[in-house]
Amino acid sequence: MNSIRLALKNIKGTSFRSLVIFLCVMGVAGFFLSTTLILRGTEHSLNVGLERLGADIIVVPEGADTKLESALLMGKPTEIWMPRGIMEQVAAVPGVEKVSPQVFLSTLLGAHCCSASEMFLVVFDPETDFTIRPFLEEELGRGLGRGEVIGGRYVFLPPGDKYIYVYAHPLTLVGNLEKTGTGLDQTMFFTVETAQDIALTSQTKAVEVLNFDSNLISAIMVKTAPGTDPHEVAFDIRMDVAGVESIETPLLFGQYRNQLTGMLWGFLVALGIGWGLSVALIGLVFSMAANERRREISVLRALGATRSFVFRSLLAEVGLLTLGASLLGILVAAVAIYLLSDFISTSMEIPFLFPSWGSFLILCAIGIALALGMVILAALFPALRMSRQEPALAMRE
Amino acid sequence: MGEQIVVTPVRHVSLTVSRGDFIIIVGRSGSGKTTLLNLAAGLVKPTSGEVFIGDANVRNMNDKQLSLLRNRKIGFVFQYPSLLSSLNALENVALPASFGPGQRRRNANARASELLELMGLSERLESYPRQLSAGEQKRVVIARSLMNAPEVVLADEPTSDLDEQTEQEIMTLMRQIHAEGVTIMIVTHSLELMRYATRALRMEDGVLTDITGMAGGIRGKS
Repeated sequence: MNSIRLALKNIKGTSFRSLVIFLCVMGVAGFFLSTTLILRGTEHSLNVGLERLGADIIVVPEGADTKLESALLMGKPTEIWMPRGIMEQVAAVPGVEKVSPQVFLSTLLGAHCCSASEMFLVVFDPETDFTIRPFLEEELGRGLGRGEVIGGRYVFLPPGDKYIYVYAHPLTLVGNLEKTGTGLDQTMFFTVETAQDIALTSQTKAVEVLNFDSNLISAIMVKTAPGTDPHEVAFDIRMDVAGVESIETPLLFGQYRNQLTGMLWGFLVALGIGWGLSVALIGLVFSMAANERRREISVLRALGATRSFVFRSLLAEVGLLTLGASLLGILVAAVAIYLLSDFISTSMEIPFLFPSWGSFLILCAIGIALALGMVILAALFPALRMSRQEPALAMRE
Repeated sequence: MGEQIVVTPVRHVSLTVSRGDFIIIVGRSGSGKTTLLNLAAGLVKPTSGEVFIGDANVRNMNDKQLSLLRNRKIGFVFQYPSLLSSLNALENVALPASFGPGQRRRNANARASELLELMGLSERLESYPRQLSAGEQKRVVIARSLMNAPEVVLADEPTSDLDEQTEQEIMTLMRQIHAEGVTIMIVTHSLELMRYATRALRMEDGVLTDITGMAGGIRGKS
């Protein structure tokens, strides 16, 4: 019977006290993991989304940066326009290696192809594009043909159908991009030729006509030359080209990130308060139990247990409880977040992608460490006091 | 108001316990008997004077040394129910071996099982304290006190709360243990138990008096 086995036996035998500690720890660990997972998942989603964009700078009409963020973040379709001629001006700015235009359109409400009622449509120029092409080459081994479309995660072919119909025009879905947790998941990408075909079909067959003016574009994707500073290039674009906003993609969603930071501080304060209250509650419960167990401790000491054995056994008791409770709390939180990730994203209107395994395991380890720290702090003084009590005095009480 | 009251439960006590003694100390509640036993076991250190267990002076020993000494040389039978409620009878009896050297730990269950059989509890190895009668619990405690083959067993009111028949059974067990060479020291308020002793002492107001001549019991077995 070592201190661990004795601890396990005592856990079994003190159900109320064990339950209180178990629930406190499970709650703290689960709360910590769920809030940090959501925050981390949002961060991860933003990073994946930005990586998917593929551009160093995005140029949009002046004042349209918020609309762009909204479209990219949550897939809310937007219509922003600027003359196609601006592209040449942007291309002429020093440090700009490549430019490629994109046009933003939207489906009609209740589009039957997709899990969102309104889908974001992005028209790209296959001749100059460098954002969609890498994916196409990797997945299809070729470019996108006329009448073909690449979709985000939430674009699908309705069961039994051969085509996706956009403004009554049939399109062949050739593949889906990997999930990003952002608005890119409900976006469809097709070429200028396909857009022109859709516009033509809509004039006679669709409920509404799709207006597609090939002289207008919504955004310019910019790739900077190697060795140049994207920040300086973005600045130069703003200075040299009138009527545009140039956004460095790493700085995209800046306002949103600030909100996330605010949320993080809020969560940390709530967690800190919860943690502190749990320390107090567990300390109280443990102290109460300590009084009940004075005689038991005295017996152990009389039988030859040293103070150190008693101390280790008491800490082992709370330590084992904490380990079990924090693992369970973390597991429940992780499974819930994983299963409800789409719901979380939709209801909280945040981009969300479950973080990588490495990040997840680090968060779990931190959660367990926090829980262990909390319980050891709460139990340390009572355990020390109990182990040092005079056996003979405690026997009399 | 605010005055500190000083209690001296044991005073002017000079007692030598020889190997093979069966000592019974009688006295009423509050006379200092339990404190004397605790002093003898090293569970409390004297404020003045010295306590020797064998050649070891309790005053000079640290906690680890005292714990080891208690574990190896002394068996304790408590007045109150002292079995750990989360352990069954076998585990309770084997408990002292957990604080001893490796060899003892390895053979603990076998030895505990033997002792419980000796106590007539071979059918109750896996019973928990709440499933045992008062007499059975006392026998488990006695078995536990013998786990590490101690030189001396100290018993504090071993037959309190027991009926007459069970009391006789317990004292018969104590006699058997004594006959195997274990030194016994019992404190009790019951004068009837004096007949089992080789030496009888009275504790009154912290002072010890030899009353062996007044008691019947085992003679010539020191």
